[in-house]
Amino acid sequence: MVTHDEGGDASSSTGSGFLSRVFSTRHKTIGLQYLWLSLASVLVGMVLSALLRVHSSWSDTAIPFLSGIETTPERYAAVRLLHGSLMVFFVLTAAPQLGFGNFFLPLQIGAEEMAFPTLNCLSLWLTVASLAGMTASFFRPLNQGINVWLVSAAIFSLAALLSALNFCVTTIELRTQGMTLPRLPVTVWAWFVNAILSMLIFSVLLAGCTAVLSDRLLGSNFFSTAAFLAQQPQNLVRQGSLPVLWQRLFWYFAQAEVYVAMLPCFGIITHLIATFSRKPVWKERLVVLSICGVGLIGFCVWGYHMFATGMNPYAPLVFSVLASSLGIPAAFLLASWLGTLWDGRIQFTTSALFAIGFISLFIAGGLSGIFLARHDLSRAAVSEDFVIGHFHLVMGVAATFAILAGLFFWFPKLFGCRMNETLGKVHFWLTFAGVYCIFMPMHWLGLLTQSNLLPEAQRVGLASAGASIRTLVTTATIWTVAAQLLFVVNFFGSLLRAKKAEENNPWRATTLEWSIASPAPAENFGAEAPVVYRGAYELSGTAPYEFAPQHISPELLAQKLR
Amino acid sequence: MPGTTSTPELESVLEKKDGGGGGSLPPTGGGGDDDKKRPNSPSSPNRYYVGMAIGIVSVLMFFMALASAFLVRKRGADWAPVHIPALLWFNTAVLLASSGTLEVARKRLANSDTFGFKRFWLVTTVLGVVFLAGQVVAWRTLVNEGIYLASNPASSFFYIFTGAHGLHLLGGVAALIYVAKRNFDTAQLTRTVAAEVTSYYWHFMDALWLFLLALLYLGK
Repeated sequence: MVTHDEGGDASSSTGSGFLSRVFSTRHKTIGLQYLWLSLASVLVGMVLSALLRVHSSWSDTAIPFLSGIETTPERYAAVRLLHGSLMVFFVLTAAPQLGFGNFFLPLQIGAEEMAFPTLNCLSLWLTVASLAGMTASFFRPLNQGINVWLVSAAIFSLAALLSALNFCVTTIELRTQGMTLPRLPVTVWAWFVNAILSMLIFSVLLAGCTAVLSDRLLGSNFFSTAAFLAQQPQNLVRQGSLPVLWQRLFWYFAQAEVYVAMLPCFGIITHLIATFSRKPVWKERLVVLSICGVGLIGFCVWGYHMFATGMNPYAPLVFSVLASSLGIPAAFLLASWLGTLWDGRIQFTTSALFAIGFISLFIAGGLSGIFLARHDLSRAAVSEDFVIGHFHLVMGVAATFAILAGLFFWFPKLFGCRMNETLGKVHFWLTFAGVYCIFMPMHWLGLLTQSNLLPEAQRVGLASAGASIRTLVTTATIWTVAAQLLFVVNFFGSLLRAKKAEENNPWRATTLEWSIASPAPAENFGAEAPVVYRGAYELSGTAPYEFAPQHISPELLAQKLR
Repeated sequence: MPGTTSTPELESVLEKKDGGGGGSLPPTGGGGDDDKKRPNSPSSPNRYYVGMAIGIVSVLMFFMALASAFLVRKRGADWAPVHIPALLWFNTAVLLASSGTLEVARKRLANSDTFGFKRFWLVTTVLGVVFLAGQVVAWRTLVNEGIYLASNPASSFFYIFTGAHGLHLLGGVAALIYVAKRNFDTAQLTRTVAAEVTSYYWHFMDALWLFLLALLYLGK
């Protein structure tokens, strides 16, 4: 049972320092802790990716300090696994939903705290434990490491379930007076829909992990018998692949996991585009419906990952149609972003640049997704480099851009100062050019040199031709990773600079978190809960006011006009 | 609703239209801002109901994932059905009875008969523990017959279904004990609410067990 405690009031009154600060139950502290966790993970994960590229281009080059870390196929796979786990679980899942969500969801709906603060603290520390476990699994021998990894994934699922529960209840129950559903900022919608989706899919991952672990440790027979594979149509079962059932359960989770990473990003981008174009969100209702649609369809499309594995022959068509129908809400979202930008008075801050960069990456990566979603075309397109290029553009890098956009935007509310705009813009352009140089050529590599449709002899010939492209990709990777130093300098430099009193609302935004001081005070809104009078995006250029914050009463607004 | 309450707001709307000229003004009034008390006041018990409802969906999803794996895996050639120990029928009756006594206890609590509540609540807890003990005995029977977790896929599923359900029910027993022992005088959460939320979970565990039993019985 959950005990309700007053969100760390004890810690502030006793002031007994370190422990109560670290194991705080306040939503803002927890949100920041998630963000720090993500920052650490993203830096390590990025270095690992550079390591992987260097290895695949110049496999006999010894890297100082790191020699031997990826030299055997087994270690190489371990590096890939660590890179993937860090990025997917602790950056893409943690930062936009758990980091920003924990910090800003209660602020944007005018609540004092999350619904279950103790539960929130518990899920943070389960996440930390899972991170420690996944990192530890890297240093174990493969067979043992996988067990540790599976336990960590199960712990992460549990943590994700607990925080999803918290997000759902908070959004449903703790909205302040006047914050009706149509008035919710799109960010809150996205966090909410995403929490519902997480609720469903992390249970499945937990079940899958339980069964696999029981197979590996207790010798049970959920996935491990060859007899099951023998039952499947022979031409569809590829030799040497993992048992299909585990893949099915895993992809049930993993495909939806892509949307778990993307949904909050959609929310953040919609929010930022409107704020920086100084225009209301174009077709806001449709955007909210699209976000719900992405959640719903995203939950149903796991099957298309099975194209490469082989599955029941009539199913591909169903999943292909489903996967393609994801294009519909995605197209609505895109139309809304462009419609909002259209004719807007766009303020090209670093945050806005990253948001627009997100749109660009989303289009580029989404287009190659169409190839993969069609069960007939995917035969030609499914190849390692093509798929890596596709999902890194649309999921990895695009989501990272959304996180950076959100960070630049909310930095004043998080830390009470702004990040340096000039450094930020240079960082943006270097990164933007860099990621296109990495992932676009990867698509070509996949289509040209690894296509399953080509005869073997021709593929060998083409593979050597791909070597120069590979070198380009690797060089660009090193370049892009190095460019992130600018971000690190900017981030810590901004933190260290003497904190001036930052204005409450530097971006002239409308939502509730900007009605309070920067950085957000411990008690959020103080004794009096805010009252909401209007929708979240009253940034009308034509009305008598430039923008109307949600919490200003119409009377007050009228007074200000006079 | 807005028509009656928002006269001053309407005035301000008109004022601005005159002053500023055109432009769609924000919709004022609207649902939800009638003078209800702050919804996030800590005393509101709704969060516990909603939280439990969502938690139940999540637990259901966990078992549905395993159930779908069960249905797919059943087609395998190595599937050797497990016969269900007769004790399970007794256990089922015990669990069903515990749901009944739980409701009786809640009725006593509603009539502010604390003593009756505590007695029936204790009976429910004991029945829950008896069920769990019965499940362990059923496992032992199977083990004595040489059917282990690792014997074949059917036995693996039998043990994981009963085991996962038992673990969840153990959480329910812990909740029952918590509700009985906790001092609710100073807490924002009242005993009535806590008992109701726990009862949702307990009945759900009950229904889930019937589902799993049907799956194991019909699906063998």
